[in-house]
Amino acid sequence: MRLPLWLKRRLPGYRPPPERWAHMEEPYTGDDVVVVDCETSEFDKKKGQLLSLAAVVVSGRSIELSSALDLTVRSDAVTHPDAVRIHYLRKEDRKHGVATADAVQQFLDFVGNRPICGFYIEYDRAILNRYIRDLYGFELPNRFIEVSELYVRQKRRYIPEVNLDLTFEGLARDLDVPVIDRHTALGDVVSTALMFIKLQKGSS
Amino acid sequence: MSLQINLDQPPFSFLAEKELAWLKSRLDLVFFPAGEVILEVGQESPGIYILYKGVVEETDDDDQVFTQYGTEDMFDVRAVLESSCKHRFTAIEETLCYLLKAKDFIQLLNSSDDFSVYFRTDLGTQQSLVEQRGGEVSEFILAQVDGDTMRTPVYVTGQTTLVRTARMMRDEKHDALLVRDGERRGIVTGSDLLHAVLNHSLPKETRVAEVACFDLITVEEGEYLFNALLKMTQHQIERVVVTRNKEIVGVLELMDMLSTFSTHSHIVAMRIEQARSIEDLVIAAGRLESLIANLSGQGVKVMAIMSLITTLNRRLIRKAFELLVPDKLNSQVCLLVLGSEGRGEQILKTDQDNAIIIRDDHVKDALMPSLQKLHQVLLDFGYPRCPGGVMFINDAWIHTAGEWRARVGKWLNNSSPEAMMNMAILMDAEPIAGNSELFEEIRGAWHHESLRSSIAASWFARPALQFETPLTLLGNIREDHGAIDIKKGGIFPLVHGVRALAFEHGLYETNTFDRIDRLAEQEVLSKEVAQGLKDSLVLFLRIRLRHQLEKAEKNPGLTQQLKVSDLRSVDRSLLRHGLHRVKKFKQWLVSHYHLENL
Repeated sequence: MRLPLWLKRRLPGYRPPPERWAHMEEPYTGDDVVVVDCETSEFDKKKGQLLSLAAVVVSGRSIELSSALDLTVRSDAVTHPDAVRIHYLRKEDRKHGVATADAVQQFLDFVGNRPICGFYIEYDRAILNRYIRDLYGFELPNRFIEVSELYVRQKRRYIPEVNLDLTFEGLARDLDVPVIDRHTALGDVVSTALMFIKLQKGSS
Repeated sequence: MSLQINLDQPPFSFLAEKELAWLKSRLDLVFFPAGEVILEVGQESPGIYILYKGVVEETDDDDQVFTQYGTEDMFDVRAVLESSCKHRFTAIEETLCYLLKAKDFIQLLNSSDDFSVYFRTDLGTQQSLVEQRGGEVSEFILAQVDGDTMRTPVYVTGQTTLVRTARMMRDEKHDALLVRDGERRGIVTGSDLLHAVLNHSLPKETRVAEVACFDLITVEEGEYLFNALLKMTQHQIERVVVTRNKEIVGVLELMDMLSTFSTHSHIVAMRIEQARSIEDLVIAAGRLESLIANLSGQGVKVMAIMSLITTLNRRLIRKAFELLVPDKLNSQVCLLVLGSEGRGEQILKTDQDNAIIIRDDHVKDALMPSLQKLHQVLLDFGYPRCPGGVMFINDAWIHTAGEWRARVGKWLNNSSPEAMMNMAILMDAEPIAGNSELFEEIRGAWHHESLRSSIAASWFARPALQFETPLTLLGNIREDHGAIDIKKGGIFPLVHGVRALAFEHGLYETNTFDRIDRLAEQEVLSKEVAQGLKDSLVLFLRIRLRHQLEKAEKNPGLTQQLKVSDLRSVDRSLLRHGLHRVKKFKQWLVSHYHLENL
């Protein structure tokens, strides 16, 4: 549920963003969304270390790749062997990345007050909020859009009891979206953005 | 994220690495649901779309389908350069395009010459840019005749004795000297001297002017070495004189060329020349196909391959004719090659198309045994039997000169489709062995003002229209599984349309390119149309050759089906332009010959 800003500010423990990102609290009036994906050292909201981060603006039916954010984080986190097998980001690959704080700053500047969209976005939100809380003492105030939720809603509208394959690949297959460089942050972002665009089109 | 399309092809391969990397960073990705209009007539285009997935259709104001685009094709350059779109572009399937914004595209044009030349020029230039990048070009074959390849000429005067000339040859280590005799310039070679002294028993004190050859075969400085080789092969000589504005500047020796020449086209040529038996010729003929593949692989232009192969093919057939037909019959017959071989446009062997003219007072019975053998030898050379029976072993294609003239007259009066087709076949005839004067006689029969009534000419032209131009290259092609017949769709209408005009205007040329040039000279075709047709034909021949070589079947020369999806997108786009030219030419033929009601 989305609370109005005035109410949110009155909640106990609410911490506003610092001056630099104060605008993130403004209500967003445009039509763009930012699709986001993070790759982490292990699949754990509390312990997973941020390894890479990608974000792209979707404006109507256009995925603005040319201005996309695609960051590898310089981190010496020990990657869980299973995770490496998924995202192929070994410690060596991350040596040339940016510092974690730098990545988070760039991300906050990039996303602004636009809605954030992703596949299983709850996980990315938790990871990002954990870093933002530790570094700058606030949490993302943006609206979040879950692609798989849009998908379920669209499917169930016609056939309520349908059995859905809710994996990333399952959605991609059903929506006829190319899976590009799976498990690289930017590749997943582009596929997710396409899913989002197609689901938008279907609902309008 | 990696790019999902291959930009390692023209025109993008004209960009420097840095520019290409920049381009890749400037691409956005746009999605269009099926049926959505991407660009509307009159709309300003946001940039260049490069298709990643899907099919886009271009239509004009009247909803006529102009063409279709598939993966890696791009559109619409014109809309960006001219600031508004002339046609409508619609996604006919769900479509994903990369978008290069107009300002970024313009910036690339400004930073790269090759890239901008490609977009701002005509089909021919685009094609030669593509051909240039088409593969590793053998250095020699496209090298030009210049100071490095030729020798400085050594002169003797016409008064010099044969003895002194021989001594000079030895001292200068030249096998050929130029002879200055008054205003005349000639050449004398070591074998000329040998001949003169040993065969003709001329005294050693004879003036060299008496044995020298003053009919010089020359090439202009700056010409391709390749052309020089062609001339040597044609004239069966081992050196040519190099000129600069008609002044002699050097001598180009075959031996010098051979020492640097890495392909084996000369070996094939030599084998044909030196053949003593039919078996030798069959071996040489067998080499031609790999020679073509070689030359094509080295990026030699299709026009050059065509003229080399035409020369070699004709030498081959003439040699076989000379070996099989007794000398005393030689002046009694003339062997004609017809069809693409006659036009000099054959590269890989197609089928046998040939005919024989017999001198009027002669009967063919005496000839038939040697001609039967010749036919068998042509089969052995790899020319398949002509399915239409256009071969001299069939009664319909062997006649005396008088009979031929009568037949042509009958064809022209009767105007039936078969008669016109026969006329068209004979029109492309080139005499290649025997007595070519016999052909001159019958050729007059259709270079005859009164015979060329406009009715006959328009009946003649009609078959050019019998096949649709296959302009929708992608999607929606079901019955032929994404393949187009390049002969029916492109080559035949063009070649036949030009042939019809050549018929109407009584041209002697048989080669389509020569015919087009003549028609342009006589202002039957405008310069632009003429150039466009030539560019298109070269393109069709090039794409077809590449396709045929890749398929490497038995008789690849008979394959006319192009699989559209196998073509590089740049070829697809050039093909589209070429086919458009053919379509326009066909429309022009319709109004020129008043074929509207057919």
